[in-house]
Amino acid sequence: MTAPDEGQVVGRSLPKLENLEKVTGRAHYIADLSRPRMLHGAILGSAFAHARIKSVSIEAALAAPGVAAVITGADVGPGRMGAFIKDEGAIAQDKVRYLGEPVAAVAAETEAQARAACRLIDVVYEELPALTSPEAALAPDAPAIHEALQDYVKIFDSGSEGNLCSRSRFDEGDVDAAWADCDLIVEGTYTTQAQAHVAIEPCGALAEVDQAGRITLWSANQSVFRVQANVAEALSIPMSRLRCLTPQVGGGFGIKMEAHVQPIVVALAEKSGRPVKLILSREEDFEITRARHPFKIRIKTGAKKDGTLLARHCEVLVDCGAYADDSPGVLGYSLLMSRGPYRIPNVRAEGQLVYTNKLRFGAYRGFGNPQVTFAGEQQIDEIARRLDLDPFEMRRRNMVVAGEPWFLGGEVASCGLAECLDKVEQAAPPLPPAARGKRRGRGLAINAHISGLLGTGAIVRMLEDGSIVLNTGATDIGQGSDTVLAQICAEALKVPLDMVKVASPDTDGSPFNWGTTASRVTYTTGRAVIAASEEVARQIKEQAGAILECTVEDLELRSGGRVGIVGSDRELPFAAVSGRAHWAAGGPIVGHNTLVYDGKTMDPKRGSALGLPFPQIGVFSFIALLVDVEVDEASGQVEVLEAWSACDVGKAINPKLVEVQLEGAFVQGLGYALFEEMVWDGPRLANPSLMDYKIPTSLDAPFALHSILIEAPQPEGPFGAKGVGEIGINPVPAAIANAVAMALGRPLKDLPLSGERVLAALMESEG
Amino acid sequence: MPAFVQRPTRLDEALALKAAQPDSLYLAGGATLVAMKNAGLIEPESLIALDGLQELSGITRLADGSIRIGAMTRHRETAASPLLTGSLAMLRQAAGKIANPPVRNMGTMGGSLANADPGADYPAALVAAEAELELMGPEGERRLPISELFLDWYETALKQDELITGIHLPTPSAAPSHYRKLARVSGDYATASCAMVLTADGGLRVAIGACGPAPLRAPAAEAALCGHLHDPKALAEFSQSLVDLADPIDDVRGSADYRRKLIPRLISASLDRLLQEQPR
Amino acid sequence: MSETVAFTIDLDGRRQIGLAEADATLLSLLRDGLEITGPKRGCNQGVCGACTVMIDGWPQRACLTLAAACEGKSVTTLEGYAEDPVMQRLARAFAEGGAVQCGFCTTGMLISARKLLEEEAKPDPDRIRQALSGNLCRCIGYRKIVEAVTAAAEGAET
Repeated sequence: MTAPDEGQVVGRSLPKLENLEKVTGRAHYIADLSRPRMLHGAILGSAFAHARIKSVSIEAALAAPGVAAVITGADVGPGRMGAFIKDEGAIAQDKVRYLGEPVAAVAAETEAQARAACRLIDVVYEELPALTSPEAALAPDAPAIHEALQDYVKIFDSGSEGNLCSRSRFDEGDVDAAWADCDLIVEGTYTTQAQAHVAIEPCGALAEVDQAGRITLWSANQSVFRVQANVAEALSIPMSRLRCLTPQVGGGFGIKMEAHVQPIVVALAEKSGRPVKLILSREEDFEITRARHPFKIRIKTGAKKDGTLLARHCEVLVDCGAYADDSPGVLGYSLLMSRGPYRIPNVRAEGQLVYTNKLRFGAYRGFGNPQVTFAGEQQIDEIARRLDLDPFEMRRRNMVVAGEPWFLGGEVASCGLAECLDKVEQAAPPLPPAARGKRRGRGLAINAHISGLLGTGAIVRMLEDGSIVLNTGATDIGQGSDTVLAQICAEALKVPLDMVKVASPDTDGSPFNWGTTASRVTYTTGRAVIAASEEVARQIKEQAGAILECTVEDLELRSGGRVGIVGSDRELPFAAVSGRAHWAAGGPIVGHNTLVYDGKTMDPKRGSALGLPFPQIGVFSFIALLVDVEVDEASGQVEVLEAWSACDVGKAINPKLVEVQLEGAFVQGLGYALFEEMVWDGPRLANPSLMDYKIPTSLDAPFALHSILIEAPQPEGPFGAKGVGEIGINPVPAAIANAVAMALGRPLKDLPLSGERVLAALMESEG
Repeated sequence: MPAFVQRPTRLDEALALKAAQPDSLYLAGGATLVAMKNAGLIEPESLIALDGLQELSGITRLADGSIRIGAMTRHRETAASPLLTGSLAMLRQAAGKIANPPVRNMGTMGGSLANADPGADYPAALVAAEAELELMGPEGERRLPISELFLDWYETALKQDELITGIHLPTPSAAPSHYRKLARVSGDYATASCAMVLTADGGLRVAIGACGPAPLRAPAAEAALCGHLHDPKALAEFSQSLVDLADPIDDVRGSADYRRKLIPRLISASLDRLLQEQPR
Repeated sequence: MSETVAFTIDLDGRRQIGLAEADATLLSLLRDGLEITGPKRGCNQGVCGACTVMIDGWPQRACLTLAAACEGKSVTTLEGYAEDPVMQRLARAFAEGGAVQCGFCTTGMLISARKLLEEEAKPDPDRIRQALSGNLCRCIGYRKIVEAVTAAAEGAET
């Protein structure tokens, strides 16, 4: 590292630490790993969406060429996993609840042999009616998808009954009384579709069991600790028997946070006594992992003539899929976000989460926020239009500012939203006229998202030569958290970035980290890294004080890995203090810190909540997004021409990586807004392939994506930083919908805004 | 046992191999065949690769001015061919809209036609161009108008063991042509497509793709429209005649209803574009 | 079930022998038979582009190419470009320009970009978007990839 970098690491767009491996093809992902005598696994998925398993015959599969082991539900015991409700086993037992659900798995010498053997397993089913919508599942005569729901262990228990997985209701003010004071009330029903994550790397895992029964498990994941907990629960084994590791991860966006194939792979390795690797096909990745929840949203918003918002009532019906996974959290979080970043004194948000016979829906970038924002931000525009207010002015009049509480009373300690709005408004030139056969529109949406949640830690170790190893247990899934955390550590210790190396997550050696989720790693783990680095600094000074015969208060860290006496040129390199610590006195220098995010979601004096899944949720980042679109009059297809995204991230530790988060999230949101949709034909997913499920290519994404970074520092955040992982996607469908509404002169309330839907609206407008 | 992939260098050799191994399949570019094999949809015993056959490669202008495209010509070559101008420009445009660059480096015109995917790009463009296929089989060579190739969904008039060896196109004229593809994203199969040539006599040749098992074309309606391109009523009647021929399906790319709605709109937009391009 | 056979291919500039099933794809041969892990299996249907390699000088899908059809053809993966100055410029521009996130698409993306710079010294952003349209990226949003290719092309002068 060159001299100018020293002590100025934070705020610089340094390349990610592992990029050289990735641009030379040498980075290794789960599919690239192998172990001696390794077998390959494959899964047999159920042929029905809802059925009792009468029998599973595996003899023919066991006799097939190359087969070493076959497992079924009988091999995995009674254990169940689930972040909120323990409702899911490693493999279906007694019953299948969605089409494709694993009913058996095979380990064989080759993947082809394992897949061929799966086809020889004979499963006899007794088919039950498949419930493919929340409405159908809530019908009084609907069969229960989980007959034993009442007996399940629940970390979070809110109204589970029949096929109702959970319900939540949050209130602030008196919404029923407030409508009478409103001059304008708008109401609407909005629907959103299931979106697939499509991380380009499919899910996979590799497990090996040693002679003592200890298991080493590598997998594509967003948290080695969630992998450990899920596998331990699903297979009823002590967590300490599992060592969970991760190679490079090829993207996540939520799909790799909770378990996918890890419990099955461990069970296969135990049964066969040999290492087993199982990588899902792209089709399986669509069919058996998880996806973004479809929402049905009824929303009503009331305002005074001058645009002041007075009341909002948001009611959601959420398809949970067959297992609870993170869904109760998504329901609760979406309701908490349904007010939007607005000062609305009277709000009620309520919803139901309903089991259906589809694959589980779960965590996906945005976590319920894009859905409610699609509805809420269209209503803000609708109110502005009907009151003849400019959309920017409408939002400025009502937006939250620092110091004002979030819905239910959470603290907003920093807020750069006003500047975000100003910046996108200033950046965008006047909307150019449409070309022949086209219509143009410009749409605005604003949003907030949390970063925070749960436990994290950091261990900063100084080696004998004064260089640093940082170990946090946070999984870098490609977004760059290893680099960002190393930058924070390097800055705190005033060393160049290349003096800090980052340990790979390892449940044996890393401090607990809940996961790479909830936009949380920079903010929560960054705080722990700073605290642990400060502890290291304290120990450095103690050692240096002993050598230089001065007090700790006399000492300062100097850039480049030195410690010296304030106002003097007497100083020592870190190697000298670390050498003394290792070999003479005090012991090796190690700083550690752990914390649980403890800011309160709710102030009981402000509101009431039934079924609040996250009592301590996080701090707020803010965003304003402006989008220009062109609608083709022949086909109804929408093209996004240009977008301006201004985001308050507190402090951009690595500005380029922040921009990539915004741009990547925008394009993922563009696909969600316009054409991405998992389509079910009855209970069968009709498009589980990249031939049929389309994500944006380089030609579908505009080149003119402008990222504008705003820094309203979060007081306790690392160098003021807040999260940015998810927020970029939240306003995209809403902003595009508002732009299309402007182009067409009428709103569209159903996602995706496919050519077909837009053309129908356009033809209505043509008369 | 023969090798899984056999690579003849002469056409007669390929035909002999096929005759000797009835369960084998011809392998053109592989873009679709290998994808189907990977998905477990086909399990061929063996394959006869056609990429060594010189007779099947290249785009050439014949002595009479007409064009022959060898069946193994990659989409990339077709998309860049300087011979496909004027009335045949739409074919070049269609080739350039197939999938994406790496797949266009692999896929071939013959392979695409034999696969007969209704959402593919060549069928409509070749029907509007009035192409003729050159086929070779156990009974020898024959010609088949492109409009007679597509019998039903994914079903062609190719006989057992018959191979598409080339595609013949009439001599290109200066008449402007255009291929308009509507797809969810770049490189997807078409939701609907429209290939159109403005003829010298003030008429149109139009073929609509992805709205039935075969491209839609209505020669009688084309004749009726001739000379009345600027008459909205005549154009509407013409479009309706194609809508009447349509037999679209509902799929993830769009509903049958959407496809029917698109037909007249794509025709109008394409005509509008061609009239602007037309030399006055 | 097909039997395992030995394939000899011209890979990354030298003749290499790898074992794979007789009907294996080039991707399987590379990854499982020859332990060349740069090309990735993202979809096995030719859509995602993570397996893109150069075959006879053209970017093609290793997952849609049969190993048995590669006899006599030259196959180049990213490893074969280790000493190639154009690829080195691209790799540096990607690494430094925010054009690498999870990295799973990166190897295929670089192969497509390498071909583009061979065809056109100074492609504009639209031309780059065209050339990369067969390589799906879910992380970056493409802009920084397009900029990295531009930077690599401009770097040719210096």
